[in-house]
Amino acid sequence: MMDSKKTSALIFGRNDYSLKIVQNIVHKYPDVHIFELDEDMIEKSDELYEVNSFDLSDDWEDFKSTYDMQKSIAFCVLENDAKNIFLTISLRASFSDLTIIALSKNKESANKLTMAGANKVIPLVQTTADIIVEMLNKPIITDVLHNILYETSDLKIAQIKVENHSYFDGKYPSDVEWSKKHGVIVLSIMHEDMSTEFIYSSKAKHHAIKNGDIFIVVGYAKDIEEFEKLIGSRCDVDWSHRSR
Amino acid sequence: MGFFKRLIVDGAYFLNTSDAYQQKRRFFYNLLENENYRFRKYFDLFMIMLIFISVAVLVRGVKYEVDDSLLFFNNIVISIIFLIEYLLRLWVSSSVTDVIIKQSEYDSMLNKEFNLLKAFLKITRIKLKYITSFRAIIDLLAILPFFHELRLLRIFILFRVFKLFRYARSFQTFISVLATKKFEFITLLMFSSIVIFVSTVLIYIVEANDEGSSITTLYEAFYWSIVTISTVGYGDLSPVTDLGRFVAMVVITAGIAVLAFTTSLVVSAFTEKLNEIRDTKTIEDISKLKKFYIICGYENVAKEVAKKLSLSGANIIVLDEDESRTENAKKDGFKALNYNPGSVESYKNLHIDMSKQVKAILCLRESDVENVYTALTVRSINKDIFILSILINDVHKNKLSFAGVNEILYTQELVGIVAKEFVGQPVAFEAIHALRSEYSNIDIEEIFIDTRMSNNFTFVSELYNERYRIILLGIYKKATQKFLFNPIESTIIEQGDYLLVIGNSVFIKEFERYLHKKIRK
Repeated sequence: MMDSKKTSALIFGRNDYSLKIVQNIVHKYPDVHIFELDEDMIEKSDELYEVNSFDLSDDWEDFKSTYDMQKSIAFCVLENDAKNIFLTISLRASFSDLTIIALSKNKESANKLTMAGANKVIPLVQTTADIIVEMLNKPIITDVLHNILYETSDLKIAQIKVENHSYFDGKYPSDVEWSKKHGVIVLSIMHEDMSTEFIYSSKAKHHAIKNGDIFIVVGYAKDIEEFEKLIGSRCDVDWSHRSR
Repeated sequence: MGFFKRLIVDGAYFLNTSDAYQQKRRFFYNLLENENYRFRKYFDLFMIMLIFISVAVLVRGVKYEVDDSLLFFNNIVISIIFLIEYLLRLWVSSSVTDVIIKQSEYDSMLNKEFNLLKAFLKITRIKLKYITSFRAIIDLLAILPFFHELRLLRIFILFRVFKLFRYARSFQTFISVLATKKFEFITLLMFSSIVIFVSTVLIYIVEANDEGSSITTLYEAFYWSIVTISTVGYGDLSPVTDLGRFVAMVVITAGIAVLAFTTSLVVSAFTEKLNEIRDTKTIEDISKLKKFYIICGYENVAKEVAKKLSLSGANIIVLDEDESRTENAKKDGFKALNYNPGSVESYKNLHIDMSKQVKAILCLRESDVENVYTALTVRSINKDIFILSILINDVHKNKLSFAGVNEILYTQELVGIVAKEFVGQPVAFEAIHALRSEYSNIDIEEIFIDTRMSNNFTFVSELYNERYRIILLGIYKKATQKFLFNPIESTIIEQGDYLLVIGNSVFIKEFERYLHKKIRK
């Protein structure tokens, strides 16, 4: 189930979006492959990354032999929504375990992409509009969250798995004084059954902390590290089941 | 004489620079002439009411005795009110002090003595120009019933009805719409006048000497022509000779043509002006709004932003030079104007105070060229207003910031960052996004610390946010403009700061209420 096994990224479509994606994920997926439908675009490309051609003929045997699909994550960023949906559906049909992240222009094709089997869909217009509206309505929150999420400040957000539950001695999450004792703020808890609960929700209040629970914490890097040492380890979570 | 002139020039300068005088003058100008002034409509309603009272008294007086006090009110009080209004309008129509000052400066520049006569003539000319204007004449005639002893002048009360045109703006719109078809109406009037003239003369010639005919005078012939051409045809007068009936047939045919032509003219004038009339109404509505966003361009992102902003209760104005996109915005229920957001003229026509009424300008066209142009235009009008723009092509980023855009959003970059988070810390990312998403009942909010709160809470430890199951993520300090994450208990809370809290939206509201209500013991 762990996502950490995945090492290569397959990006379908060569455009500004794919280039930005490569820039942002290359630290985690050093093995990046870009594919493009249009032969002309391949000839024109002069980037650091080699651009390969592919077609929508549904013949993925070559892919299987060249790339280790088990260890890959796919980004479908074709500019044409219809082609992007077709690509997603044919990838899903051939590789049931592949993690697919797809880009959509609007909400309508976002729904279709989810139906086609994408694990995560980024609706362009909605995402941009959401950010604009948040920026206008809650400027401070947007700024703080942006800094936390995109790591431009010392504040970090992390997922920490409990491996040492004896430390909490059967306490409930809301009873622990996280911020005073550890200098971190726990936003939510993810239980073993993968359900996420807000720290102050009534369900989380009645659930004793045990090994395997994952805390989502915000704090300064140093405090998070110390907290991590105390209770367990930082972890990545496979969330491929979540959006489907 | 020199002393007298000096006195006049000094007086003019004094009044021109006196705040109290100018303030009063501005107030009356707004009340009488400025259509966008808040209290203007109450003034108009008051005057309309007076007019109706006048007419009601006149009608009552035809057959019944009218109470003396009512007559006094009608003839004296209303007339005096109208007289005051007339004099005020005469006062604000043009500035006497300006003319005197201009003349005195002109003369002193040429090293001449101040020419009082010239200034006086100029003032007389501009004031006479106002007095002889159609509206001012109507106003004057409406005051005349004051001399009610002259029975003939009672009819002048009807001129008060004409004054209605001044106060009811829809009449003015009606006239201005018809004015666009001036040429056609004049042609039509000429045509019907000729038909009436010829038929009057003809019917008189052929009918007047016939014994059985009811049309015996030129006046009757004229009356018959008008009744016939208007297709009313009372039938009290009718031609009896064959020739007379032939004339009648021609006049009736011409009458139908005139009527049809008039109807179509009025309809076409309105159809052509309909959008303009609607726009005028929209602009009126906009000028009454206290705070709103201006969205420039109505394309994909703009549509979503408009929808989301209006859901959050904000007012939105859409400006787009493309007619079909403007129509789309109107269909979606927004106030939209088919104006070019890149033109200074558009903002002038809106009659708004940008720094007071506009929260932010959003340049959301899917073209960097258009957005840069719009941003520059807005910046040239107002230096401080917040401008947000989307960026389509990375290479134009510096142009947008050079044009004065405060916040630039590059969609491609956003996608890259989102992807980074997806592959990096998916759950954390989802957790934060769930907090921000509109579907989740967990919310993240900014709570503004007002004076009342800062008086009742000094330290973070006094907030007791845990009791409300609320996480205090941090405080944004106004003084240092810095965000303090997880503040220690002794952190001081000051007016102007913001608390950033996370929790169930109901609990956040409850917490906010508690912050407002609590009083230090």
